[in-house]
Amino acid sequence: MSGSLLLALLIGIAFGVALEQAGLGNARKLAGQFYLTDFTVVRVMLSAIVTAMLGLFWLGRLGLIDPARIFVPETFLWPQLVGGLIFGLGFALAGLCPGTACVSAGSGRLDGLAAVGGIFAGVLGAGLAFPLLEAFYRSGARGILTLPAATGLPEGVVVLLVVLMAIGAFRLAAGWEKREKSG
Amino acid sequence: MIRPRPYADPYWCGVALGLVLLGAYTLAGRGLGASGAFASGASALVASVDPGRAGASPYFGAYLAGGGPAGDWLVFELLGVVIGGIASAAWSGRLRVGIDGGPSASPRVRLAAAAGGGAIMGIGAMLARGCTSGQALTGGALLSVGSWLFMAALFVAGFGAARMLRRLWQ
Amino acid sequence: MSGARIMGAAALALGVAAPFAGAVPERAGASGRIDAAALARMVAAQQDHVSALELARWLRDGRPGLRVIDVRAPAAFARFSIPTAENVPIERIPALRVRDDETVVLYSEGGAHAAQAWVFLKAAGTRNAFFIAGGLGDWFDEVVSPAIPADPPPAEAARFAETAALSAYFGGSPRAVSGSGAASAAAGGDDREALIANARRRGC
Repeated sequence: MSGSLLLALLIGIAFGVALEQAGLGNARKLAGQFYLTDFTVVRVMLSAIVTAMLGLFWLGRLGLIDPARIFVPETFLWPQLVGGLIFGLGFALAGLCPGTACVSAGSGRLDGLAAVGGIFAGVLGAGLAFPLLEAFYRSGARGILTLPAATGLPEGVVVLLVVLMAIGAFRLAAGWEKREKSG
Repeated sequence: MIRPRPYADPYWCGVALGLVLLGAYTLAGRGLGASGAFASGASALVASVDPGRAGASPYFGAYLAGGGPAGDWLVFELLGVVIGGIASAAWSGRLRVGIDGGPSASPRVRLAAAAGGGAIMGIGAMLARGCTSGQALTGGALLSVGSWLFMAALFVAGFGAARMLRRLWQ
Repeated sequence: MSGARIMGAAALALGVAAPFAGAVPERAGASGRIDAAALARMVAAQQDHVSALELARWLRDGRPGLRVIDVRAPAAFARFSIPTAENVPIERIPALRVRDDETVVLYSEGGAHAAQAWVFLKAAGTRNAFFIAGGLGDWFDEVVSPAIPADPPPAEAARFAETAALSAYFGGSPRAVSGSGAASAAAGGDDREALIANARRRGC
């Protein structure tokens, strides 16, 4: 096994451990987010995004990494908007996403296994239907478009706004949780 | 009967996840993903049945050009996710054959919903070029507009759909 | 929970400091800056392009990280493209991101746009980039419809056999030529249309 693939495996293991330890291998816990009874999903997601975002920003500013070498996914407005809506629907049904479905399946959950099978079938079907979807798939292409570029705000300001948004979301979540607990 | 350990603090797990993502970028030059590994597998399946069609497909062909799943970074990463999940569940006493679902949903219904929801997610992930790992997490940290759009749409639809799926979860 | 509060405070501090962090430090070879001397050296050393036949070999052997990029307009791409090719019209080439472990092979109709795209990608710091000097014309001449002499000299026989095999792999049809295999006239316009139609039917 090449070094890069071994690294991929190790990174994946750490990824899986972090998800499972948070309880995101449990579909019922995950689904609780959509009923505002369990806020693990947004807490994990936003903490991860803020951590990585701050890390990349500051490592770049300190000259420790070259931001130009970092592969930013391209923006395709319509398929990503519609894809997100479709994905959200599936997410609410399955209670798991592709990554957490693998964690769930690994933990022995049959619903995780079913989700994994379903995701494979969905991707396969969509790929086979590609000729029909191609025009839409390629629509709204904006190349690499970041929030700073799109809003005209300096990157540092956007970073601050994201941090503030995350803290605000955490406060809201804690408030909701308290209300749920006190009945 | 092993008493399972309590779940870890979500904020710390999130920070750890963010550090893993950071590590992926600094050490491997790329971010995380999950649905891409599924696409790679699907490409291999199509190639084994109809290599010409697979190679000619702009979608499947792109995954095959890298040498297929055997050489695919994401496939190995997702393999790692499974291993990590097993290890963590075992250590925490959460390794158990069973079904996680709402109290009033029968196993059959839960499994059907999982498979059906999975298929729908697969379509969404194909269109969006990723899922919560690749787009929301990775693209989100990189402040990509398309990724944030995907994330917002995902939550809007999720909350909306959940209102009609209460029987499944509550 | 107090640990999380510390983390939150740290994140807030880093976030508040972010707008005051200044711009990204300029680096050598930063996006868009062309080091003409270095690029000219690569061109002179023939390190800028690969033959269509070489690309065919890479595709058949499943070279890791290979990305074939068609820089023509989408309409042309839809009519015919080299297998596994991605369509990135030339105006979108500067926005293309290529990882260090990927190898890009650019092609266009005749090769000019692909050569220009090569300069753009190298200027952006792409590590492994090549183009097919003769564009799709070369692909048709060397892979889809290579000239294979009916009776090659023994020293050349193995090479022509490999070419024929490669051509067959891509659903091509070698042209039998007489003599020792000296390059004959390239596939003409009408022949090209027929070849494209044939290739599409075979799903090449």
